[in-house]
Amino acid sequence: MAGEESTPYLEELRHLRSMAKHPSIISLLSSEISSLEKDQSPPLPPQSSPPRLTQEATSAAEKAKQTNVTARSCGKKYVASEDEKDPTKYYENRLNYIATLKNPYPHESSVSKSITEYVKEYEGLLKDQQGVHLENVTESLAGMVMKQRSSGPGCFFYDLCGDRARVQIYASASNSDMDKSEFVKIHSNVKRGDIVNVTGFPGKTMSGQISIFARSFVVLAPCLHMMPTVNPKKITEETEEWGPGRPRNPETYSLKDQETRYRQRHLDLRINPDVQRIVVETRSEITFYIRRFLHSRQFREVETPILNTTAGGATARPFMTHHNELDMQLYMRIAPELYLKQLVVGGIERVFEIGKQFRNEGIDLTHNPEFATCEFYQAYADYNHMMELTEEMLSGMVKELTGGYKIMYHSNGLDKDPIEIDFTPPFRRIDMIEELNKIANLEINPEDLFSEEANSDLKVACKKYGIQCPPPETTTRLLDKLVDHFLEEQCVNPTFIINHPEIMSPLAKWHRSRPGLTERFELFVSKHELCNGYTELNNPIVQRQRFANQLKDRQSGDDEAMPLDEGFCRALEYGLPPTGGVGIGIDRLCMLLTDSVNIKEVIPFPTMKPQDQPSARPS
Amino acid sequence: MDAVRLWSLSSQPLKHLIRTTTTRLVIRCCSSTTTATNPGGRAPKAGGRNRRLSTSSTSTSDRDAVRAIRLKKVEELRSKGLEPYGYGWERTHSANQLQDIYKHLGNGEESKPDKDGVSIAGRIVARRAFGKLAFLTLRDDSGTIQLYCEKERLADDQFDQLKSLVDIGDIVGANGSIKRTEKGELSVCVNSFAILTKSLLPLPDKYHGLTDVDKRYRQRYVDMIANPEVADVFRKRAKVVSEIRKTVESFGFIEVETPVLQGAAGGAEARPFVTYHNSLGRDLYLRIATELHLKRMLVGGFEKVYEIGRIFRNEGISTRHNPEFTTIEMYEAYSDYESMMNMTEEIVTRCALAVHGKLTLDYQGVEIHLERPWRRETMHNLVKEGTGITFNELGNDLQVAKEVTLKNLGADLDYKYKSSIEACSSVGHLLNEVFEIIVEPKLVQPTFVLDYPIEISPLAKPHRRHVGLTERFELFVCGRELANAFSELTDPMDQRGRLEEQVRQHNEKRAAAISEIGGAEDKREENDESYEVTLDDDFLTALEYGMPPASGMGLGIDRLVMLLTNSASIRDVIAFPVLKIQQ
Repeated sequence: MAGEESTPYLEELRHLRSMAKHPSIISLLSSEISSLEKDQSPPLPPQSSPPRLTQEATSAAEKAKQTNVTARSCGKKYVASEDEKDPTKYYENRLNYIATLKNPYPHESSVSKSITEYVKEYEGLLKDQQGVHLENVTESLAGMVMKQRSSGPGCFFYDLCGDRARVQIYASASNSDMDKSEFVKIHSNVKRGDIVNVTGFPGKTMSGQISIFARSFVVLAPCLHMMPTVNPKKITEETEEWGPGRPRNPETYSLKDQETRYRQRHLDLRINPDVQRIVVETRSEITFYIRRFLHSRQFREVETPILNTTAGGATARPFMTHHNELDMQLYMRIAPELYLKQLVVGGIERVFEIGKQFRNEGIDLTHNPEFATCEFYQAYADYNHMMELTEEMLSGMVKELTGGYKIMYHSNGLDKDPIEIDFTPPFRRIDMIEELNKIANLEINPEDLFSEEANSDLKVACKKYGIQCPPPETTTRLLDKLVDHFLEEQCVNPTFIINHPEIMSPLAKWHRSRPGLTERFELFVSKHELCNGYTELNNPIVQRQRFANQLKDRQSGDDEAMPLDEGFCRALEYGLPPTGGVGIGIDRLCMLLTDSVNIKEVIPFPTMKPQDQPSARPS
Repeated sequence: MDAVRLWSLSSQPLKHLIRTTTTRLVIRCCSSTTTATNPGGRAPKAGGRNRRLSTSSTSTSDRDAVRAIRLKKVEELRSKGLEPYGYGWERTHSANQLQDIYKHLGNGEESKPDKDGVSIAGRIVARRAFGKLAFLTLRDDSGTIQLYCEKERLADDQFDQLKSLVDIGDIVGANGSIKRTEKGELSVCVNSFAILTKSLLPLPDKYHGLTDVDKRYRQRYVDMIANPEVADVFRKRAKVVSEIRKTVESFGFIEVETPVLQGAAGGAEARPFVTYHNSLGRDLYLRIATELHLKRMLVGGFEKVYEIGRIFRNEGISTRHNPEFTTIEMYEAYSDYESMMNMTEEIVTRCALAVHGKLTLDYQGVEIHLERPWRRETMHNLVKEGTGITFNELGNDLQVAKEVTLKNLGADLDYKYKSSIEACSSVGHLLNEVFEIIVEPKLVQPTFVLDYPIEISPLAKPHRRHVGLTERFELFVCGRELANAFSELTDPMDQRGRLEEQVRQHNEKRAAAISEIGGAEDKREENDESYEVTLDDDFLTALEYGMPPASGMGLGIDRLVMLLTNSASIRDVIAFPVLKIQQ
């Protein structure tokens, strides 16, 4: 990384030196250049949070390697003091410094433009000009100092970052409204990471760098910790900005230690330029698209409870909690399905909910205990219609966010090349049992699946192909493994697997013409399930029977089988119109569109292991 | 259809009903021995008549009787080759669209059947049948329309089917042409129809009275079917939430999803729900506010963020409190609480206009005026206005302040209030207590209450001019807090001190409470203060990296919806409120 980081910024500096006239500036630039050439690796991000007691071997080794690299000072005149090497000392010094200030956290701030607007306006106004100052214009900007350098006690340069843009501050004692000694005191104590407010006039330096020439300069919030260094390449190469659908590699980030990135997301957001775009903006664009798509089709957004007396609508282990005053055991929802269907019973014909679901399961690359889904239900529609709607929504979304139907995704890990995933509609459809029988040379008869024979046949089949199914070996789980092995493997481009057997789908309606099957689909992308939909089962008698069958699986040890929800069955007795419903995993969608192989990349604050325990990373 | 016939039906095996449940159903039907009291085949009407017989055993057996009759109809439909649970229906119009398109059709006029074939679907909510004519009222999401069913227009035995097999509550699809009856009722003249979903239970008449309240919340869908205005509340709620999003996004705010499950529950003072994550082997708390994580996003460089999300507090249930509720919290860098007041006005007025089209509304008999600007007054001035006590002249002597307060409020003050005044631990708490007792209920028209004492505002920035106060406001409408906002505290040292003080005070109360009940282990659980409060150290660390000056605001969406839908209880605006376990 050391080699690649230097070029553009160094070149800029060399260019500046060639343009510069004043000897002190030339000498400043020279020293900066030489310091950059000597030492380019960014230092270890400081750990201000409680010390991590134990580290996994690999990560500890990485730490050891990184700590050897010393912190680089940001300008020649700015000599790295001892405290720069010692985060605790650094922190103490900063505390001591701000103790000397009257109000280190002022109330007032004034912003006349965002940095983006400023750069855009004056780049346009001062196109191809150098060394111009618009002294009769006053602008106020605020943001974070990401780089500073000085050319003597009367002159300081800063990179001011914010709003995903960057501008240079030129602060000289001669322009300043402060007296010289105050000016020097303030500026020699500005640190990388400080939030500052600057008021001054726009202009360009001799090298054509767009700048704000500071008249007043106020630190709004000092940064008390050493900020990890930014790889200059990352902020200079603005043309190469990442966008949804494009490949990326977190391994190349300035701040790449995963623990720090996920635990102190604010550092990740500040230092790694893609992250704001990935963690927040792309997700927000996705949910915005979904909302607009559904609103324009007269769907209404509703809220159903997260705390329930039973956890239904899916098969998963729920979180439990307790309500004190009511002295009542409550479960956190694992799916909103049963409530949304009750609202359809109540007469709201098209409903959707975008919200969190909770599953008390292990954490790994694709699972976080809380995750976001969108479920939508439409009365008088069936699964064929819902499949078309899903196809339209997803392909339309990919088109809008990326400009085309094809995205790049590191399906096989970051060390392999990304693959292309094509969302051009229509998506492929695979009939589950038909295809399974064909590929695996089986003779599954969906009508027989509830029998013991079917169960033992499937066990034999799994054994034959060396497919492991951890106990309990219920028919449902065996089938699931076979489908996983033979069918999901084929589903790299979006593919619907359709017509699941009844035994696998307790809430889906039986197929109108094929006994033993249901009208259900699952959409797989990059071999992972993204959507699940069906013609909703609305016959209360059959629904009760299905729950009873689930109970059988529970009794055979599958504690993820669905419990009976009497309240829901009663609602069906009042009449649920024919309805189609779909659930979409929003985190998975975010992962696909941001080329993230780890779900933690797309959740701002993922659930993490307690820090004082050895981290056993999932493999 | 009478009870005798019911008996004879239910004693036969219901063969075609459904593969597996036949025997169970027969038992269920036979067990409904009291059905003789319900002579009606037209079940809903019977249900209506029997409404006053409100003992649950009677209504249960009524229901079972109706259910048995209807299950028989399910079987009958199947035997005719019809599916009582259809797979879909192609609609051309909603009821409201038809009412709109044909509003100029004169009485007795009919549109051209070949040209204006329409198809609709919905629930049958009323039904009148005569010899060769039947009128059904069909309701869909948009409204209602009449089905005009003439025997001669329907094919084969469809009219007889309609009379014998369609009940109130069934979901039906119908094709036909449009006609306005002589009486002026716009109708679909039905050519063909299908039962899309056979309902098994009778719909109640409109629910009235307290006795049904519990059931209204437990079976919300029944409430929605019986009282269309209930479903409307949730439609309006959807509109309000969508309008809030539109508003804040138009100002450049971006939505962030912060975690519900947290290692430490901060951002407010409330008892959290605790849960346990099996594979991590640790307790997790359900968030009591989104504040601390949204502020981390400001530290991370975002300048305008918001989240609309669910908050959880392990507290009692009332007309204003549900254990889970929805808020919007929003934060804007480089601004202060003044600008949040404008934002709050903007959001609330836009929502009111979206729901009502006007800014004057009725809330429980009181006319509320939302025209801007709203009154802005400091807490000190409001207390002075309401009680005559000038708190900023009282200084810091708590004892003196209490005496003055009690003297001023007079002897007829409720004992409950007296003791809560006595319990105040600082002048700031006292001021707030007096405000809550005397002033709050009087703040009917929208009022921003400004500049709260620092003791009760652990996350707000100290006031730039007044020592002991913070730059904070709360919005009150109809005597209720609707929003809470401040210039955010950005000083990490000050913040740490205040949070530590909060923890200390909490632990003191907790210890006192424990010693009071004499260490009785089983009682400890029930105490208000028995939960643990921990510092969110990660948040404090984030502040140490520097958070820009910012203002933030939290607004209770449920309460806003209550106001805008004229709902008396929070349970009227939450589709499925938390309820006590039924005995």
